[in-house]
Formats: sequence, C-alpha cells, structure tokens
Amino acid sequence: MDSIIVAFSTWLNKTSLAWAVIHYAWVWPAAETLHFIGLAMLIGVIGLMDLRLLGVAKRVPFAPLHRLLPWAIAGFVICLLTGVVFFAGDPFQYIHNWVFQAKMLFIVLAGANVFAFYVTGVFHKVEELAPGEDAPLPAKIIAGVSLVFWIAVMYLGRMLPFLGEAF
Amino acid sequence: MEFLAWVEQSGFSVWLRESPSVWAYPTILFLHTLGLALLVGASMVIDLRVLGFSASLPLEPFKRFLPVLWLGFWLNAISGVLLVLIDATRLLSNPLFYFKLGFIGLAVVCGQLIAKRVFPRWPAAYDWEDQTSCRVLAGASLFFWIAAITAGRLTAYLFTAGDLAASVR
Repeated sequence: MDSIIVAFSTWLNKTSLAWAVIHYAWVWPAAETLHFIGLAMLIGVIGLMDLRLLGVAKRVPFAPLHRLLPWAIAGFVICLLTGVVFFAGDPFQYIHNWVFQAKMLFIVLAGANVFAFYVTGVFHKVEELAPGEDAPLPAKIIAGVSLVFWIAVMYLGRMLPFLGEAF
Repeated sequence: MEFLAWVEQSGFSVWLRESPSVWAYPTILFLHTLGLALLVGASMVIDLRVLGFSASLPLEPFKRFLPVLWLGFWLNAISGVLLVLIDATRLLSNPLFYFKLGFIGLAVVCGQLIAKRVFPRWPAAYDWEDQTSCRVLAGASLFFWIAAITAGRLTAYLFTAGDLAASVR
C-alpha cells in the first residue's frame, strides 16, 4: 500500500498541476478560499439535516430538506478538488503525516456512514417524515455520528500545521 | 499603533500566541472554522431556499435552527477577537481585514432583513415568496458571505494595500 501511495505522489508531483501550484503564488490561497466555501456548503446542508433527524426543528419535513443535498455534494466536490491541489503541490508532507491520515480516515468513515444511511433502509424510513414527526433511533444514531465525523474532519484539517507540521 | 503593540504584548496575547499547547492558538483557529461552518452554512441554506431551491420546503420552522446560526456567530465573534489580540498590528493594519469586517456586517444586515420577512412575528401578515426584494437580499447575503470568507482567507497572504494592488496586476 505504501509503495503505491509513494508512486502516486511522485507521479502527481511531476504533473503540470503540481507545477502550477508551485509556480503561481495565487493558486494556494485561491484553493484555500474555495476549500472554506465548500466546507460551509457541505456542513451547512448536512448539519441541518442531521439536526432535524436528531429532533431540532422537528416541524421541518425531511424530504424537501433532503432535496438540497446536491449543494452538499457540490461543496464536497469543491473540497475534494482543492484538496487534490494542496496534495499535488507537496504530497510528501502529507502521506506519512498522522494528522493527514486521520483526516482521510474520518472522511472515509463519514462516507461509510452516508452509505449506511442509504442502503440499510434508514433513508427510506425518514424520507416521508412529516412535520413534527420524530425520526427512528437508527436515523438519530447515523445523524449524530455524521456530526461527530464531519467535525473531526474539520478539526484534523485545521490541526495539520500544528499537530502535523504540514500546511 | 502603540495601543495595538501593547495589546499584542499583554500576557494573555503572548500566551495565546506563543504557547506550544494545541489548546491555545490552534484551538481558537479551529473554533473560528467551526463557527464559520455553522453560521455561513446555515445562512446559505436559508438563502438557497429563499432563492427558490426546494420550493416545497417551509422556512417558518427553520426558526428552531436560528440558535445554531447564532452559536456560530458568537463563536466567531469571540474567537475572532482572540485572533486579533494575538496578531493585532498585522491584522488591524491590513486593509483586507476591514473588507472582511465590512462584508460580514453587510451579510448580517441582509440576514436580519431576510429573517424579518421569513420569520414574521405575526405569520401570514404577508407572503415573502412573492417578494423580489427577499430574493435580492438572499443573493446579496450569499455574495457577502463568500466575499467575507475570501477576504478573511487572504488576510493570511496579502498584508498591505501594495500587496493587494500587485496581486491584481
């Protein structure tokens, strides 16, 4: 696994994307700005859906709230693409860095949680949740776990320069 | 300027800045990011709905989400003041920092005007969905939040009016 990651990083670091990140001073700050805008879109939509399932603002019907999901996906894609920009610019400060590894792990875990929400039938049960109706326990657990995982992703990302000595 | 230097050199600021503890500067930065996600994230959802996305979503029950939004606001107001204490001279002499504050102010005013229409004290007083003004406010709110994030992020890279001019040249 490690040799694959090293080989991928070496290749990525030689692409014109990496060249642009290194040679144009504006690329990094621009990517960071977009990373924060994407973060707000992702956490805003997902966070409010999680809070609704947990019982805050129970009078919000779930299905129409869920219709805003494409905005969360767009936010995630923005963060993913700008994340690749950071990674391409200097992959070797990340790959053996435990904070970066932990952040990636929590993104995968959050993804697995989303997967669990849709394939175990929990989404099907909450889809028709009417105003005032309480979500079943499995949905509440998934919503709570989602909040914890995404906050962990933000925390670890913000700690990269401090606990992880990367930027 | 002397006052700023004094603030920066006060014991509390020095501790926040120089403590190797993750509970000092790094934690304040994280709280500022968390607050951003809550405040801007929740505001964006309301703005998108007002702009007409997911038209069957009733906004009135979103009243209960407002404490989350305000939690984000106060988290960032407090962590923001602490970040200024740490780095007073550099931030307060940076024109971008004042742009950021201005954009936040404008975004908050837009948010308040939207709230007045969307969460009326007496429901059914009038229908905000018919109002173009409400949509304009929602568009402006989105624009000002994005501008505030952009200006805030760039304060870490551009420090003077000269840097700003050079960056757009």
